[in-house]
Amino acid sequence: MFGFLKKVADYTRDAVDAANYLAQGLAVTFDHLRRRPITVQYPYEKLIPSERYRGRIHYEFDKCIACEVCVRVCPINLPVVDWVMNKETKKKELRNYSIDFGVCIFCGNCVEYCPTNCLSMTEEYELAAFDRHSLNYDNVALGRLPTSVTSDPSVQPLRELAYLPKGVMDPHDVPANQPRAGQLPAEVLKGLSLQKDSSPGDGGESLQDAPDGEQSAG
Amino acid sequence: MVITFATAATGLVSSGLDLELSFSQSLQGLGISPQVAHLLWLPLPMLLVLVAAVVGVLVTVWLERKISAAAQQRIGPEYAGALGVLQPMADGLKLLMKEDVIPVRADGLLFTLGPVLVLVPVILSWLIVPFGQNLLISNVGVGIFLWISLSSIQPIGLLMSGYASNNKYSLLGGLRAAAQSISYEIPLALAVLAVVMMSNSLSTVDIVDQQNGAGVLSWNVWRQPVGFVIFWICALAECERLPFDLPEAEEELVAGYQTEYAGMKFALFYLGSYINLVLSSLLVSVLYLGGWGFPIPVEWLVGWLGQSVDAPLVQVITGSVGIVMTVLKTYLLVFLAILLRWTTPRVRIDQLLDLGWKFLLPIALVNLLVTAALKLVFPFAFGG
Repeated sequence: MFGFLKKVADYTRDAVDAANYLAQGLAVTFDHLRRRPITVQYPYEKLIPSERYRGRIHYEFDKCIACEVCVRVCPINLPVVDWVMNKETKKKELRNYSIDFGVCIFCGNCVEYCPTNCLSMTEEYELAAFDRHSLNYDNVALGRLPTSVTSDPSVQPLRELAYLPKGVMDPHDVPANQPRAGQLPAEVLKGLSLQKDSSPGDGGESLQDAPDGEQSAG
Repeated sequence: MVITFATAATGLVSSGLDLELSFSQSLQGLGISPQVAHLLWLPLPMLLVLVAAVVGVLVTVWLERKISAAAQQRIGPEYAGALGVLQPMADGLKLLMKEDVIPVRADGLLFTLGPVLVLVPVILSWLIVPFGQNLLISNVGVGIFLWISLSSIQPIGLLMSGYASNNKYSLLGGLRAAAQSISYEIPLALAVLAVVMMSNSLSTVDIVDQQNGAGVLSWNVWRQPVGFVIFWICALAECERLPFDLPEAEEELVAGYQTEYAGMKFALFYLGSYINLVLSSLLVSVLYLGGWGFPIPVEWLVGWLGQSVDAPLVQVITGSVGIVMTVLKTYLLVFLAILLRWTTPRVRIDQLLDLGWKFLLPIALVNLLVTAALKLVFPFAFGG
């Protein structure tokens, strides 16, 4: 008899618990209704790519010495360097340079190893084309500068989460001049030199302080 | 069938706005016989309710998309009309333009008949939905019973389309739909039976009338809280709304019985499921939330303002208030259904049948018996 009653009581408690959890879940869902959408309304709004964004590669024809280092470090030997040896001057004469962005994986090795810095990575990522062959950029196309999101009048630029001020989650309505959370490397260095100035003649202590400064910047 | 039901309604005592009476009287003034006037009247409410049902679906689809977006912190449809209100129209137009595909190995006749058999009973059920004392197509004596019997035609259509598609996902979806509809009809009917016992009538108008003695306090939800919850759960299961949408569980069954459907036939399923949702919400508001009743009875308000209830202007205003109240309650329930959709996970088929047979059915039965006992003990409060 008591076993049966206990069963009934347990069953009822389970049912009440289930209803309770359901109500808690509904409260969470309901709470979401008053939050602002977090979606970026592309193409009317665009995120500002980060400083280290690895977008389309920019190339300066005049700086290039046709050394082909970019080809050697590329995982698939992608860049095509078209040069001829000028017999008279005994120098390489660059005729054409092209990278096929339909095949490129944007690893940035070529940019890393280029001895003359004629390659660099831009923030451009809108590479859609109707024909994949038009993704093969020659030296003229590679030399074009991308339009910046911040200077495009038809686009509202939004900062990415890591670039927002401390405690701010919503990139809308954040003034452009408001600093981001944490310190820039230049600011960290400045703080370090100030510390050094305040305690002259004791090099050991300032060296000890250096990692602390970096930690607070992180 | 419609004609017989409508003629049955004419003999009733009427109070409040009676459009049919004024319509036929004005026609008889022109020298038209009452029979012809009645015949001319008949298509008007039917057309009106059909339009109301379809507009209700468009609003529900828009609400579903907007509220779903808000629950997921998106914006949702935005560019088709102001705030995307024309999005459901655009969806419908797209489905209208699409090619009507019948798979080669499918049974063409059953494949076509399936969606029709799903949609027609749902639309026919609008016959008994009251928006006011006389604002319904026909005050059928067996109103709510008619709805329950019509809703049991639906699983035949679902099974038919699932079987005729000649596709394993469709067949599984159709079987699940049939199993689900059949299991949840019984607790649903028992919950309705408890309400019917209190109002001593199967007619939806009588059920609402019995709830409107003291405004919000006399609504059935206070006397039938358990029945309300059971009815709502079963209504969600009958509509295949999210905690119970396993007949069309897209992760396992592609789209269940809808897998092979495209174009207008798919649109019929889509329309049917949303009309069913609106209809179920309407019936919840009719059975438990006082139907067209204002939280404070309008008769009292009219009395306090020193007006007569029979004055034409007052009748028009109270009639409009009734329609607004019904629609408001309905859409609050639709809103709740959408919130539930994004809150609850889908149940498994065994959990679904467990819930239906082992939990809801006994509880509904106990609820019915307790209601019967309370009716005997407190006849003044439980409609003795």
